[in-house]
Amino acid sequence: KTLRLNHNNPPEHPLHVAMQLMADRVEELTNGDLKIRVYANSQLGTQRESMELVQNCSLDMAKSNTSELEAFDTDYAAFNLPFLFQSEEHFWNVINGEIGQDVLDASVDHGFRGISYLTEGARSFYANKPILSPDDLKGMKIRVQPSPSAIRMVELLGASPTPISWGELYSALQQGVVDGAENNPTALTTGRHGEVTKHYSLDEHTMVPSVVVISNCAWDDLSDEEKTALNEAAKESMAFQRDQWQGIVDATFAEAKADMGVSIHEVDKAPFMAAVSPMIEETAGSSERIGDLIDRIQKAAN
Amino acid sequence: MNWAVIILFGSFFVLMAVGVPIAFSIGISATLTFLLFMSFDQSVFVVAQQMASGLDSFTLLAIPFFILAGNIMNRGGLAIRLVALAQVLGGRLPGALAHCNVIANMMFGSISGSAVASAAAVGGVMAPLQKKEGYDPAFSAAVNIASSPTGLLIPPSTTFIVYSLITGGTSISALFVAGYLPGILMGLSLMMVAGFIAKKRGYPLMPRPSWREVGITVRDAILPLGLIVVVMGGIVGGIFTATEASAAAVIYSLFLALIWYGELKIRDLPKIILDSAVTTTTVLLMIGASMAMSRAMAFGDIPYTVSDLLLGLSDNPLVVLLLINVALLVVGTFMDMTPALLIFTPIFLPVVQNLGMDPVHFGVVMTLNLCIGVCTPPVGSVLFIGCSIANVPIDRVIRPLLPFYAVLIALLLLVTYVPDISLFLPRLILNY
Amino acid sequence: MKQALDSLQRSVIVVVFVVLVICVSWQVITRYILGVPSTITDEIARFLFIWLALLGGAYTYGQGRHLAIDTIARSLTGRNRLIVEACITVLVAAFAACVLVWGGLQLVFQTLSAGQISPSLRIPMGYVYCAVPISGVVILCYAVSQLITLARGRLPDAITQDVPPVE
Ligand code: NA
Ligand code: NA
Repeated sequence: KTLRLNHNNPPEHPLHVAMQLMADRVEELTNGDLKIRVYANSQLGTQRESMELVQNCSLDMAKSNTSELEAFDTDYAAFNLPFLFQSEEHFWNVINGEIGQDVLDASVDHGFRGISYLTEGARSFYANKPILSPDDLKGMKIRVQPSPSAIRMVELLGASPTPISWGELYSALQQGVVDGAENNPTALTTGRHGEVTKHYSLDEHTMVPSVVVISNCAWDDLSDEEKTALNEAAKESMAFQRDQWQGIVDATFAEAKADMGVSIHEVDKAPFMAAVSPMIEETAGSSERIGDLIDRIQKAAN
Repeated sequence: MNWAVIILFGSFFVLMAVGVPIAFSIGISATLTFLLFMSFDQSVFVVAQQMASGLDSFTLLAIPFFILAGNIMNRGGLAIRLVALAQVLGGRLPGALAHCNVIANMMFGSISGSAVASAAAVGGVMAPLQKKEGYDPAFSAAVNIASSPTGLLIPPSTTFIVYSLITGGTSISALFVAGYLPGILMGLSLMMVAGFIAKKRGYPLMPRPSWREVGITVRDAILPLGLIVVVMGGIVGGIFTATEASAAAVIYSLFLALIWYGELKIRDLPKIILDSAVTTTTVLLMIGASMAMSRAMAFGDIPYTVSDLLLGLSDNPLVVLLLINVALLVVGTFMDMTPALLIFTPIFLPVVQNLGMDPVHFGVVMTLNLCIGVCTPPVGSVLFIGCSIANVPIDRVIRPLLPFYAVLIALLLLVTYVPDISLFLPRLILNY
Repeated sequence: MKQALDSLQRSVIVVVFVVLVICVSWQVITRYILGVPSTITDEIARFLFIWLALLGGAYTYGQGRHLAIDTIARSLTGRNRLIVEACITVLVAAFAACVLVWGGLQLVFQTLSAGQISPSLRIPMGYVYCAVPISGVVILCYAVSQLITLARGRLPDAITQDVPPVE
């Protein structure tokens, strides 16, 4: 039995490596009975399209991220709130623990279930000047992904959120259509944005993980042994991704500094947190369910 | 044996040969291919999804806008002003009117993204002039046909926008800037061949214009050419993205045609908009269907099959590139630009990227290659329109076209094997 | 009947096209002149564009303006020509019925029932996808009317007219 898994990264990307590791482990654990074929570069559809295909059972598995998954299951909105996680460790404990598992399982009513989170670290602002406090963002045009929480966050910080597609972002940054953007450090190197923006400021506002999901039909089709093997392989790839990620960030910063002349800035996060704190209450108030979830995540910090 | 290859290409070619509109041929064969992998309901779901979602791209919006801007300028009396300028620029070369035709096509191409519009607009003005001066109509038609695709390389170019979309976001700015040198080289090499033939046949020169005439002609053409400054200046100068530039082009051309020249009335606009929508949607429906087809190809592992086949023939990059060019030239004889681009880019791009080729460079190579295709029989939109504008049967224009095919193929090889021709300008201007 | 359908579509297409131009221009204006970039024009423009493409594509089919390689069909005469044209029309109708209408309806109902919401405008994606079955129904209408004409032994207008191909 072979399951198809679609994602939007190139085959040399760390996330592809992690998913391929899961595929290899599943095959090993089931003695070749269950295979996963990983399709890179959105070959079977964009993240949104492949989620629709998963819901329809036309596709077995897909990788998306919590930002896009918000449209398919509102629970994932919690992960897109800035500064909800106090630290890398807090974040890891949540996704690797009971709370994370509850969110993964909750989408069964929507036609799919999550099997793992693949962490991609924290997102920060970058531009052609250091952004050390929200004051530095005043009047700047910051590119955001078209997600309500990203737009709201940039507004609260005093900048103008500007939607630009990923394909046009490099030249938009270079030519000054936008003044800055926010992303993981790897955008500097894999997106070559370090060539055109010289200051990366580590405010680490959000930690938006990728999520691997499987359709209900494909899941129900698996034997109990196969389900166990898949879960085990998924957990291994999750831990593997966390381990390799810090090395990738270090290498990225080294390359961005040496080859592209990018400066990396440590930032006092307190004023950023203060500026966006209304968001957490707004979202918590939007439904009892999400309020509970946010509450549980906050309690897990201690 | 890969059944998906047989079903997909087999059904596609049969449907196309019978005369099913190409957009539907693509859609039907994509659906048939999906049936190998999933149920009927799921197959039609995927194709329906792609027909809508495949078009969900802000970038693609530039296509209707550039086509609309071109149509407005064309109806607003722009082609005549550009031809007049071309006569001033090329009038003293041997075979003057042939040079004018090429130059006018290059200028028209630099403000519109369409080869067919160019062939019709410029050919419509030039053909009667050339006939009066004693040019063989088949020769002038051949010059017009071969040179009108320069506008697909010289920006703005809807072809590059489509290419950017299917390759998952190759920079449009970089593609646009990369198109300049190959496009201009294409024009110049056609002028060389045309001049050589014209000199041999003793075609006349134009009378030397007075400085006053030159002044008036340049003044008249300067505002239409200002569109280049609005579009390319806007993109390179960071005022807007390619899509926003295309909307600016619409506003600018409306200003010229409605207010400045006053040759267009508001009541003409609905018809122009409708014509532009028809032109656009023939392309867009093909894009939606092709998105479904490229997903079907991925399900059927077709890109791997083709790439294994190619790399099995040779692992020498020079040979593989040559094979790809030959394959595309063959495809170009019977398939039009857009479907060929949509269907074959996802197959060939991974192969050449493995060989270390830059996607911007490959976009230029592919476009130049298919520029030859739109001029070749049996199927070539520019060939058809060029012949019908000049009132010359297709079989008579083939012989005069042969030397132009030859020089275009030589240029294609040059552009393929010398990446700097494409990449020099983007590196210089955009630090690409 | 065909006239009414045509003119309704023409109005919709022209209006959508004009709104698109305004939308994208507004995006530039809000960024440079007002200094507050609009966060919704991008999505409005993309969704209108999908509608323009699919409804426009259906209209273009009704006008017989889609690019086709009809060399073989045109070389035939009399009854043979009618049969080939009927086959082509049936294939297009089958695609419209199975993929655009049936597949499109599934797409609409699934995305509506799963409650997928667009990121900026917060509208259900199912409404955006409605363009697929609607354009399918329009194409089907045109195809059926062409088949009726063919069955009466005549070539429909959309087939006889010789319009230059467009790129
Ligand atoms: Na052009
Ligand atoms: Na051809």
